Parts: sequence; structure tokens; C-alpha cells
Amino acid sequence: MDEIPEPSSRGRKRLRDQEDTELQCSDLDQTLSLEENLPFSDTLVALRMMRGQFPHIEKVAIQPFVLRSQLYSSVKDRTQVDRELECLRREKVVRIFKLNTGQDDHAVMFLDDYLNQIECVVKRLGEKKQGDLEVFKWFRTHVVDAKLESSIEHQELHTLLSLGGKVKDGHISLLINAGLFTRQLIDPNMYWFAIPNIGSVLKGLSQGRKEVLSFLNRRRYKEMMLTSMEKKRLRLSPLDMRFHLRDLIGSGHLKTNQTSTGLVVQVSKD
Amino acid sequence: MWKEIGDREAGKLRPRLFANRIKSNRVGTLQLSNHKDIVSPHRGSINSLQVDLTEGRYLLSGASDASAAVHDVQRATDYEAGGLIAKHKCIFVIDKKHERGHKYAISSAIWYPVDTGLFITGSYDHHINVWDTNSTQVVMNFKMPGKVYRTAMSSVATSHMLIAAGTEDVQVRLCDIASGAFAHTLSGHRDGVISVEWSTSSEWVLVTGGCDGAIRFWDIRRAGCFLVLDQSHSQLGRCPPIPERSATNKASTSKSLSRAQQRKLAGGNGTKQSPTTGMPTKGSVRQRLHPGLLSSQDRATAHYGAVTGLKLTEDGMYLLSAGSDSRLRLWDVESGCNTLVNFETVRLQTSKPIQLATTQDSALVFVPCMTAVKAISFSMAFDVWSGKTSLTFRGHYEYVNCCWFSSQEQELYTGGNDRQILVWSPSSLIADELDEEQAQDQDNWSD
Repeated sequence: MDEIPEPSSRGRKRLRDQEDTELQCSDLDQTLSLEENLPFSDTLVALRMMRGQFPHIEKVAIQPFVLRSQLYSSVKDRTQVDRELECLRREKVVRIFKLNTGQDDHAVMFLDDYLNQIECVVKRLGEKKQGDLEVFKWFRTHVVDAKLESSIEHQELHTLLSLGGKVKDGHISLLINAGLFTRQLIDPNMYWFAIPNIGSVLKGLSQGRKEVLSFLNRRRYKEMMLTSMEKKRLRLSPLDMRFHLRDLIGSGHLKTNQTSTGLVVQVSKD
Repeated sequence: MWKEIGDREAGKLRPRLFANRIKSNRVGTLQLSNHKDIVSPHRGSINSLQVDLTEGRYLLSGASDASAAVHDVQRATDYEAGGLIAKHKCIFVIDKKHERGHKYAISSAIWYPVDTGLFITGSYDHHINVWDTNSTQVVMNFKMPGKVYRTAMSSVATSHMLIAAGTEDVQVRLCDIASGAFAHTLSGHRDGVISVEWSTSSEWVLVTGGCDGAIRFWDIRRAGCFLVLDQSHSQLGRCPPIPERSATNKASTSKSLSRAQQRKLAGGNGTKQSPTTGMPTKGSVRQRLHPGLLSSQDRATAHYGAVTGLKLTEDGMYLLSAGSDSRLRLWDVESGCNTLVNFETVRLQTSKPIQLATTQDSALVFVPCMTAVKAISFSMAFDVWSGKTSLTFRGHYEYVNCCWFSSQEQELYTGGNDRQILVWSPSSLIADELDEEQAQDQDNWSD
């Protein structure tokens, strides 16, 4: 718990973005007092570092998020990651969203980033038409604070929104259209919380994963040096190679091997 | 080793501790057995394995070609390679040709927990047969409404002889051997039930896992289930969360759920005036549900896919569940919370139910992952579960479906789609035996 878990293999990557991470971290640190900031947990440091390394995507205004599998690949003990994420979630530092790109995919986003994202969406909607935008205010004040899990029942949503004012069905459809909720496939009464505006990024995520795996599978021995892999650019995904590599290593599709010339990335057989 | 025996003799080591140490040392050296081999007569993939609970001697296996066989794992039928490799052929086989045998795959074969005189097989042909072992005849037959996925009998039961059957149908049925009829049915699942286990601490508690991803705990003396595991209710470490929080959570969710039912049926358009009172007799048809059945409205899921395997630890305190979302979760039975231990399994089989096994002191769990079996330790070391894979057993050519750990012999038996039953035993030193033989030969020259 004392050391910052820098994966030594990615030392070079870290040097490259040392500037932006420090800038980001210093911004965050100034907003929080030292009292809240004094003890660190490995997961929190990993989250901050990866948030700083989130690739910049043009055309889509999206705040940085981290995938759970990326955390697994950077912190050694997965149980510790799960537990610390749970603590952070309960303290309302981060929010966890279930993604529809796979059966167990989760995205972790800092609460401030999430609220910023909602603001962007509301502004854009406000430009287009003057709907009843008050429901977003109710959502922000009542639902986000009270409901910390990643899913919510229809009735509960209705009750929580009604604390702000009179809720019509059209309001809930507005929230769904804005991308704040998605319906669950298994249960028509439940909604998943979702990150608005994330659709194209998720598509890029699944296509990028497939591209990386097929690229490695086509090679003769299904492996490649990590340093040369990093330099490749992906055709189908707006997210960079480093994002995908961390995600695939954490979810177990790829594994790394230390060789005398450096780290080698291999497709895992099991 | 000798020092430990000396300590045991002098009383410095407790006898239990001494035995446990030796057992865990032996388990740590498990590998594909080089002195024991089980000759499997099956022509289909092996779906279920169980060693009898009374003697630990007979291994019962059920396969996809509707055959079930019993092997004696302690005495070999013949020896090969000069007495070094023991071959265990089956004592008898029941297959499709048997007059009342099953017609389709046998998904589950279990021994009667009291003695080896009876065994029970459940099959995809919708039947559960109870067989007499000595005469290999069917003594009782139960017809189910769908394919039988799993059958289970309680090993601690003293007052009942019920077989719990999980089938394609959403209801779990309890069949009574004493009377030959169905005792009662448990409803609450919303899809087929593929894993069924009795509690190891109470003879009345049954745990079932369904294709809808829910794990329910039933007390068969009452209606409805008393606990539904929810993966978002978690606890950090051994102690459960503060009681008030979990109590209010459950109370508020059940209240809102019952209101939801009422509001949905009493005119679901939001543009109308929303009903202000929550009276059950308002408007349209609505049945007052028995309080025990309110749990059927609880839709919490334990896994994002189907629950493919369940195993309770011997002390009855923890439950391991494997799901088709490739996750293994450890639950605290007392509080019903997810302990958030992350087992690093990558991929689990998703189409068939798998059988997990644990060692007696609950230090290791054996999980069939695709073609290998992984032994994952979850013993408490410094009050933290590790969840790390300690051993991996690769030997099968295809997916592994079931495994059984015999704590008497510290041996692991695994069966898979390649129709083999493999034995994994602690490494024994064959080199010593060989040396002795050669020494003998050198002295006894014959002219």
C-alpha cells in the first residue's frame, strides 16, 4: 500500500506523459484538501494515472474513463482492486458503469468527470430545442447522489425524480434519449446507468479489440514485442494501442512474457 | 518429516495439525498420476463424478451416452508394467441397452448418501431413476417436466430422503424416495435451474442456481426462498455490513417492488393521474401474494449469465458460484453478501454445468476451466483471501466438465468431453521401489 504501482514495463510510456499526468494530478490536488489526499490506495493512483493517459479523441467530446480490466492489468492483486473500487464507489469518488461491449465490462469514471459530461450533453440539448431540461437538474441533485449502484429500477427512478418536481413519462424518455440510461435486456423494468455520448467510443472499443487480436493471431507465432506493438496505429478504433493493450492484458486475452530483449505480448491459449 | 513425527510423538504438535500439514503438503504436489489409471467404459463425454461419501471407495460416473459406471478406486482390477501401474476397470456399467436405462445423456449421477446400496441418475430424457447397486435394477422412477440438469441429496439429512431436482422447468422439484411421490415444488426462478446443492450445515436448506443468473436459498419447510444473492451487495472482508443498512435496503426494495406491481396493473400510462394510494384492491385484477412468495419478485442476479456451478464449503459458511460470465464469486452465506474475492480465471465453459470441488479444510477449490483444471487457493492468509491460482492441471484433450476431490486419499478425479477419467495424485517416489528391485535381482542370480 506504500508504493505507487508503476508497471516497470511501461516506464517509457510513463516518461512520455509525465507532463500531462502531473498537470492533471496537480489540478485535482489543488481542488481537494491534503486531509482527503493524504493516504493513497494503489487503485486510486492507477485510476488517476490512466485517466491522464486517456487518448484525445476529436469529434467526440468525452471525458476520460478507465476500464476495469485496465486496472486489473496494472495492480497486481485483483481482490484488492475490487475492494478498493468498492470503497471509492461508496465514498462517491468514482462511479461504475456496466458497458454493453461484453459480458463483464465495466467503466470507471470519476464523479466530477461524469457530472461534466452530463453538463456538456445538457448544453447541447439546450442549443437544439427547449425541452423540459429541468429533469436533468432533478437527475443531478436527487438520483446521482442517492443511487450509487450501476442499475436502477423504473419505480425507484420515478420516485427519486419526483423529489424534484412533477415527473411525466416524457421526462424519462428524454433521459434515455440523452444517453443517461439504457434499458436492460433481461428485465424490462430496470435501467443501466450509462455514460452519455459514448456510443461511438464503445464501437471503437470492440472493433479495436478485434483488430488487435486478429493482428496477433495472423502472425506466425502469435506474439510480438511490446515496444513495436505500441507504435502501431489502429485503423478502426479512435482509442490508442496502449488503451487496448492494457484492456486485453487485464481481461486475459493477451499475456506478457519477460524475455532477454524486453516484454513480449502473446495471445493466451487457455 | 521425521522431525515432525518426533514432535507429534513428544506432544509438541497437535495430531490434527500434523495430519492437516501432511495432507496439504500432499495436495501441493498433485500431478497426473503415474501409478493409477481408471479405464473408462464410456463412449460419451463424462458429465458427473462422485465418490461415495461413506467409504470413499467407489467412483460413480455418468456420461452423455446414457451410461453410468462404478469404479473401485482403492483396489485395482489388474496391474501393468510389472506391478507399477494399477488399472481400475469398472465394476459394472449401465447403458442404453439396459431394459429401463436412460435413453439420452445422463447429466447427474449421485450416490445415496447413507450407503452405497442405491444410486440416483438424472437424465435429459426427463427421468430420474433410482437404482439398486447390487442388482443394477431400477427401483423407482420419477418423471420430470423437462430435461434434468442436476439432482442432489443432502448428506446431513436424518429425517428426510428427498432428491432435489433442477430441470429446464422453472420450478425445483423435491422427490421423496420413501413414498415414491413428489414432496413439493419450489418456485421463484425465472428460467431453468442448472445447479442444485444442499447445505452442508442444515438438512433443510437448499441452494439453487438458475439460467437467469440468480442464486436462491430455500428452506424446504417454508414457502418461497429466504435469500436471493445479489452481486451488488458486497462486504469487504469477513465481517458483514452493518445490519440496519442491509435491512432497510431489503425493506425498501420489497416495498417498492410490491408497489410497482400495483401501479403497473392499475393503468400504466403516465399521463393519467398517478395512483396516490397503494391499496392492493384497487382497480384491476391483482392477487395478494403469500408473504413467502414475495421473494419471487426479487430479481437480483448473482451473475451476468447463467449460474453453471455451485459449491458450499464443508463448514457451511461460504458458497462458491461459477457463472457463464466467466466469473467465480465467493459469497458469505450468513450475510448473503459478495466477498469481492477476485479469482483470476480467464474463461469458463458456458454451455454445460460444471462441477467444482473443494478440499476439506477449504483451502483450495478445483475449477474446471476449458481444458485445464485450476486449483485456486482462497485460504485466509493474514485475514485476506488471495484468490490466486496455485496449481494448473492440464491433461485432458477437450473441455473438462466435472471434478471430485477425495480427501481421504488426497486424489483428484476429473472427467471431460474426451471420455476420459483422469486421476491426479500426490507424487510418490517410484524411484525407491525400482532401486530395491534391482538390488534384489543382483543378489539372486540363477545359473
